Amino acid sequence: MGGGAVKYELVAGFETHVELSTKTKIFCSCTTAFGGEPNTHCCPVCIGLPGTMPKLNERVVEYAIMAGLATDCEIAEIAKMDRKNYCYPDLPKAYQISQYDRPLCEHGHITLSNGRQIRILRIHIEEDAGKLIHNHGDTYVDYNRGGVPLIEIVTEPDFRSIDEAKEYVERLQQIMRYIGVSDCRMQEGSMRCDVNISVRPVGSDTLGTRTEIKNMNSITNIAKAMEYEYERQVELIESGGTVVQETLRYDDADGTTSPMRSKEDAHDYRYFREPDLVTISVPRSRVEEIRATLPELPEQKKRRYIDDYGIPEKDAAMLTKYRAIAEFFDSASDGLQNPKAVSNFIIGQMFRRLETEADKEAFDLSTTPAHLRELCALLEAGKIRNNLAKTVLEKMLDSGKPVTAFVSEEDMAGLSDDTLAEYCRSAIAAMPNAVADYKGGKEKALMALLGNVMKQSRGRADAAAVTVKLKELIG
Amino acid sequence: MVTREDIENIALLSKLFVDESELDSLTEEMQKIVAFADTINTVDAGESDFDNINNLSNVFREDAVQPSLPPSMILSNAPEQAEDHFLVRRRA
Amino acid sequence: MSDIRRIHEMLVSGEITCTELTQRFLHAIKDDNAALNAYITVTPDTALAQARAVDEKLSRGEEIGMLEGVPMTLKDNISTKGIETTCASKILTGYRPIYDATVYRLLQEQGVVMLGKTNMDEFAMGSSCETSYYGGSKNPHSTDHVSGGSSGGVAAAVGGNLAVYGLGSDTGGSIRQPASFCGIVGLKPTYGAVSRYGLIAYASSFDQIGPITRSVEDAAIVFDAIAKYDNMDSTSQGSTEPTCPRLDDSIARRRIGIANQYLDGVSDDVRDAVLAAAQVYRELGAEIVYFDLPELDFSLPVYYILAMAEASSNLGRYDGIRYGYKAEHYNGTHDMICRTRSEGFGKEVRRRILMGTYVLSAGYYDAYYKKAVNLRGRIVSAFENAFASVDVILAPTAPNTAFRCGYLFSQETDQIEQYLSDICTVPVNTAGLPGVSIPCGVDREGLPIGMQLIGRRFDEKTILNFAYQYEKNTDNFVGTKWGVAL
Ligand SMILES: [Mg+2]
Ligand SMILES: [Zn+2]
Repeated sequence: MGGGAVKYELVAGFETHVELSTKTKIFCSCTTAFGGEPNTHCCPVCIGLPGTMPKLNERVVEYAIMAGLATDCEIAEIAKMDRKNYCYPDLPKAYQISQYDRPLCEHGHITLSNGRQIRILRIHIEEDAGKLIHNHGDTYVDYNRGGVPLIEIVTEPDFRSIDEAKEYVERLQQIMRYIGVSDCRMQEGSMRCDVNISVRPVGSDTLGTRTEIKNMNSITNIAKAMEYEYERQVELIESGGTVVQETLRYDDADGTTSPMRSKEDAHDYRYFREPDLVTISVPRSRVEEIRATLPELPEQKKRRYIDDYGIPEKDAAMLTKYRAIAEFFDSASDGLQNPKAVSNFIIGQMFRRLETEADKEAFDLSTTPAHLRELCALLEAGKIRNNLAKTVLEKMLDSGKPVTAFVSEEDMAGLSDDTLAEYCRSAIAAMPNAVADYKGGKEKALMALLGNVMKQSRGRADAAAVTVKLKELIG
Repeated sequence: MVTREDIENIALLSKLFVDESELDSLTEEMQKIVAFADTINTVDAGESDFDNINNLSNVFREDAVQPSLPPSMILSNAPEQAEDHFLVRRRA
Repeated sequence: MSDIRRIHEMLVSGEITCTELTQRFLHAIKDDNAALNAYITVTPDTALAQARAVDEKLSRGEEIGMLEGVPMTLKDNISTKGIETTCASKILTGYRPIYDATVYRLLQEQGVVMLGKTNMDEFAMGSSCETSYYGGSKNPHSTDHVSGGSSGGVAAAVGGNLAVYGLGSDTGGSIRQPASFCGIVGLKPTYGAVSRYGLIAYASSFDQIGPITRSVEDAAIVFDAIAKYDNMDSTSQGSTEPTCPRLDDSIARRRIGIANQYLDGVSDDVRDAVLAAAQVYRELGAEIVYFDLPELDFSLPVYYILAMAEASSNLGRYDGIRYGYKAEHYNGTHDMICRTRSEGFGKEVRRRILMGTYVLSAGYYDAYYKKAVNLRGRIVSAFENAFASVDVILAPTAPNTAFRCGYLFSQETDQIEQYLSDICTVPVNTAGLPGVSIPCGVDREGLPIGMQLIGRRFDEKTILNFAYQYEKNTDNFVGTKWGVAL
């Protein structure tokens, strides 16, 4: 990145809209279900008929507070709703009910893996707009999405690289999904990012003029758009131009950004208090109540896995990426001595059966945590060997049956010394050439004998013990 | 002082066309109203912490779905519609 | 005195059927509405169907409620499912709401007979009903005069006996001032007492629905019926207790305050009438206290700034997409919206939208909107202080009696003069208080004069009690030649 003598630093901030997974819209009782035939999730309130009034969904406030607590925000004692006035066909009242100067959450942060803190300026609640479909200059309007609750998470301009931006978005998705306030599906539009970008010579501490890229719907596009915009601004400055503060759209098809608004769109939102809604007051006791309902967050979990279980950081990250996996792991390893073994089975074998990220997120396999725990318990007790456990787990995953369907009482009882010696003798008897080779100095020939013993014991024999016994018998 | 530019700007924000012929008279009228509004700036507002008029807080709705209305009803007043969408044709 | 009670007795005794009664009103509307221009939409089918239901109930020997079968009207900014609701604006031409306003739902549950939707200033912006797209209503006492505004149609209908009662809305005096011009009773309830759900908003933090009637008892009956908590309106609280049982309470030794500032700038006839009323109260044993309320001096600009700001936002939604008027010729969506709004809104509405946008816009917000919000707080506390020592405040309802038609919009009338005519009513809305206007005499031309009683928040029972005692002990009601003689 960058060219010429001067090196340019990227400075970026995020505004992320996250759709909350409440059952109903923010101000009426229509469903928030995704999709649906056009204008079937609508009522007089959410199409803004004259005379209708909003009524705030209690769960929206609760979810926003959860999001705030999960990102270390301070929760406001008193908040209110404001009108953001602008006229556009997707906004049926010609104002969006949002929060202006008294957001529910402020001053939080998210720490990235490189140790840098991204400060969260605020998190506020607001309503989504409807959907416009442009067709040969005609505009079709569907208000199903109008009034779906959103939180808007605004960061300080703390990003210095595209990798940081990518990690932030992933982290945000992970947190919101963990606490269950949103599914954060970017392709369905339930998470949308606007990025403010400016550049400045490395070492400078003044901010350059920023542009804002709106409504990107995948992490790949965010990265590409930021990359493009960074290069564009640097080239502009190097060729003697200046960056103009403007709103841009990213074009997925050709990977460029272009100005979004015409002069028809004025930029004065004339915020004022929403007179149809009353004050939101959040007693401290309520904050603590909500805090108590929060699950262990991914970062905390990851630390616990690394520090308490000795799981490698990379594995811990995989286990905690989605809440369903972490919960499976927590449940499967509950009461075991060695959770690391559980982790190995999950990452080594179970992950192979989950092709997409969505599959991993759902973590919907036929083997239950209890089944895996049973298997690992046998392993811990030394009742079965690791390689047998692996085979059995495959069978369990294929069939959904518990470990007892594949490992008999006899198997679990292990091999007696006598039986082991008997298997060794019969191997020696059956493979005279191998015995001769070994005696002639070919260490490797012992492996063939070992294999024979393993076969007889159906994997239950301990390789080291067999080796010792074979050497002893061959003499 | 209300200027013609002020009027043009607020007309754009208000999505209203102001005819060139109206602009001067409207500017003058608005100036009078603004001068009238300005009388409040001779008064000290003091430290009033006006909240909402009825001092209410935390009036919420339960997150429970109620049936929506059929699109035929939702669209029943639409000046134009097509395929269960509200429609704005580029040119009527 | 009470027409509602009278009709209730007629219906119960079988003196008249509800259908006959309703037909008499529909005929009277046919005869007299051309002169009074009270109704924008008459709904004979609805009214007669509702009347039939009442008659059937009576014929089954069932009991009926006090308001059951009593023909009434709604201001045309109160949403009625399937019945055109226009706000007297071109921009809502043909708009038929798909839901009922809560007040109308409550009245339907009590067996209402709704005769039609009445005229008003466009979007309730005006003091004479003359900004109506359908032309102004006329005063039933003199059709050369206006009926007042903005609920001018309800007042003309009730004053002209074209309805027994009506519901209006009051943002800055729009119930009380037309009631006073038409010589009848208008109650503006406490903000939050009556649900606003379904009332097409002008200024949301001021608007309130209330009854317009020919007697205080009727106002109390209707108020008790509609002052209910509504879970569709977050600012709704309902009323604390029924007012009807308290109308005949003694007012002896109770205190009436008269703010000196309320008497400044009102006509001699109006001042004299209000002072004479104070004398009546004194004779009834009440105590009269004069006091200063200097905050009244800035309550008018505070009101106009805030009301216009809210209006500019509330009226943004009329864009020709979902309902109402849509411009015919345009080029693209932005052009369509601007044309629809410029063609659909009348001049006064456009002016208030522009002004409201101005006071909220960047650079002016602090000096106007924010300052006005803070001053509103001062007005609220000034009234609170006053009510620490008085039970009600007595004041004129308007500085003058009814204007001559066209006066407010003639060359010689200043824009500000129009706004100044609201000086006596506006403070009540600014502070969210209840106020009732009742007739207290006529001026030298024979036009009715109104006075208002202002009370503590949610203390409608006290102002109605005072109003009733005055009405009972005086004879100020003047009938008109129009409509149905009961
Ligand atoms: Mg936003
Ligand atoms: Zn809805």
